[in-house]
Amino acid sequence: MISRKSVEQLRAAIFIGNLEAKSDREAILKMLGALQGHPQVKDLSELSAATFDRQQSDPPLFPGGIAFPHARTNSVSSLVMVVATCPKAIRFSDMLVRLIFLIGVPKNAGADYLEMISFLARHVREDQVIDRLVKAEDLPSFLTAFADGP
Amino acid sequence: MDKTEENKQKRTLSPLFRRLLRLKVWVVERLRLSERQVTLIWAALIGVLGALASESFRKTSDFIHYLATGSESSIITSFVKLAWWQRLAVPTVGGLLAGLTLWLGNRLFASVRQKTTTDYMEAIVVGSGIISVRASLVKSLSALFSISTGTSIGREGPLVQLSSLAASLLGRLRRFPIPQRRHLVACGAAAGIASAYNAPIAASFFVAEIILGTVVVESLGPLILASVVAAFVSQVLHGGEPLYKSPGFNLHTRWELIPLSCVGVVLGFVAPAYLRFLRTAERLFSKVDIPIPLKLAVGGAVVGALAILNPDVCGNGQGLLRSLFHQNWFWDEILAILLLKLVATAAAFGSGVVGGVFTPTLFVGAAIGMLYGQTVLYVAPDLRSDPAMYGIVGMGSFIAATTGAPLMAILMGFELTLDYAIAPFLMVNCVVAYYCSGIFERRFMYGESLERKGAAFFNQQLAEVSIRDLVRLDPITLPKSATFAQIAETFVQHRFQHIYIVDKEKRLLGAVSLHDVKTFLDRPELESVVIAADIMNEDFPCVSPRQGMSEALHKFSEANSERLPVVDDLNSHRLIGSISKTDIILHLAGEKSGSGTGRQFGKNP
Repeated sequence: MISRKSVEQLRAAIFIGNLEAKSDREAILKMLGALQGHPQVKDLSELSAATFDRQQSDPPLFPGGIAFPHARTNSVSSLVMVVATCPKAIRFSDMLVRLIFLIGVPKNAGADYLEMISFLARHVREDQVIDRLVKAEDLPSFLTAFADGP
Repeated sequence: MDKTEENKQKRTLSPLFRRLLRLKVWVVERLRLSERQVTLIWAALIGVLGALASESFRKTSDFIHYLATGSESSIITSFVKLAWWQRLAVPTVGGLLAGLTLWLGNRLFASVRQKTTTDYMEAIVVGSGIISVRASLVKSLSALFSISTGTSIGREGPLVQLSSLAASLLGRLRRFPIPQRRHLVACGAAAGIASAYNAPIAASFFVAEIILGTVVVESLGPLILASVVAAFVSQVLHGGEPLYKSPGFNLHTRWELIPLSCVGVVLGFVAPAYLRFLRTAERLFSKVDIPIPLKLAVGGAVVGALAILNPDVCGNGQGLLRSLFHQNWFWDEILAILLLKLVATAAAFGSGVVGGVFTPTLFVGAAIGMLYGQTVLYVAPDLRSDPAMYGIVGMGSFIAATTGAPLMAILMGFELTLDYAIAPFLMVNCVVAYYCSGIFERRFMYGESLERKGAAFFNQQLAEVSIRDLVRLDPITLPKSATFAQIAETFVQHRFQHIYIVDKEKRLLGAVSLHDVKTFLDRPELESVVIAADIMNEDFPCVSPRQGMSEALHKFSEANSERLPVVDDLNSHRLIGSISKTDIILHLAGEKSGSGTGRQFGKNP
């Protein structure tokens, strides 16, 4: 079942195409930088600290080279998301990552986070889908590739 | 013949044996009495015991009355024969003796009173169905002194008390569980009322409507049986006449329906004032800081002083009611005795005399009804109204308005008079009076008392129970790095609604709620990317063993959870166990909690 809410949140995401970084930290910092001035972000430094804190405990990675750096923090007023494609894979822990979904979610919206992760993970299970998504140059083409499915 | 051969032979007989066995099972199944049927049998026995207890009280009361007044006549007749100073002295001394009995009883049985209740309503509604024997006997002895010496208080109180005590003793003797014991005490109360008023239907509805607050067959059936048996035994012992036999009425004109239908309105508006008057008397006496014996002596002296003016104020008002309905009273006589009786009843009730106010309330209602009837007769003589008819309707209406139990009041009015012709007027006016009274007063006669006792009992129970006693150790926990797969597996294996998340030092970090994750439990894609820290509620409420139970209940309302984590200290947050609502409820109900998943705090190593 497609979650209408998750689709809307994905449409509202910030897209970064061809993200290049030497490390996972650099990649995340660049993505966090895209949230500067975002209306739903109340405190970017706190969001940043919470994201790296979460990365330290157990980096959320999905087979096929997908990373879900995220933070549950009240420094965001509702779910915010940055999507990045990395044709040149970036090493996250022991995985080479080609797609990154950075998510910030308020503490009381754990269910939204689960819904979003579940929604994303279900759509990016196939390598061919990931390949199409990584090739996307902007958000509309990314969404089209996403909607095409496996 | 060896054993194998024997067994073989037995097996060849098995078809017949099976048929017999089947027949036996069939018979046993049909004859097996369920708990409800067994309760009915005990209810009937309680009816007998209740009636005998009431009769014993009556006889003893008559004997003490004879000792006090030297007369075997009714209370009012006896007092008419007494000199003025004797009219003052008898209730005063009676009050003093009643007070001394209570004072001594309180000193001797204080520890007993703290553990069990003497109040039958409390025992039925919030207690364990156990009524203290010694304290009940003390109260009944005190009531004997007051009632026998003419205090204006109803004897239905001690009759019901003794009858309920008999039921409670039976429940304890048979080791019935708490709900059944409570039900049997309710049957005892119904039996006591039935034998006091010879009104079995109203007695059952009194208990069902006022005390139990429900009129369902499961609870009403045994009440009816106990009441009917008690009334029957009482009738065998001292006749089956209705208490206030109706002189018989006829409507001379249909126009009389109009004033007759307004009795309920009048009584409904007067009832709140009457209830406040009684409460004020109680409050005034409570402000007087004198020992109980003196307080009750003062109450008796007030009645005695009024008896010098008019001996009709003495007693519960039963004889006076009969006289009202069957003799011609002028309006000024009714008004005078009404005012005197109000003061006498308030003095007795306010001073703390043990007894009931039901019969005095019946009198007040009847007297006001008759005054209204006299007014109707004066204003519209063509209607040829009989004030006694207004008196009977007024009696029922006033009871409905003061007790908040119109159904019981209708039945009581009917059973006390056994006049079917008056039943429709009673029905209409009782309901009207109940609604009119409700405009100004929401705290009815017994409801207020029950509410107060219920709250006090609950608060006491809450104060006594400690979180420490109910903590279950070793709750299900996971680290904050636990994967979604582990969380799902834990929820599947255990039937808890929350899993507590702890760090290495067992400090509580939060809780993962089944409600939040249940729709995602079948999604394998989450297993590697979601951990407990992502979805736990960090603000999940917790309690410490040092906190009171009322704080725990408050936290439960915040958490919307069956269980709460218990930490050793609210600063260190080290998780030591959990506490469940069920265990608290079972504890408050006097039951031991069932086996949980963990050990209990301080009980097992």
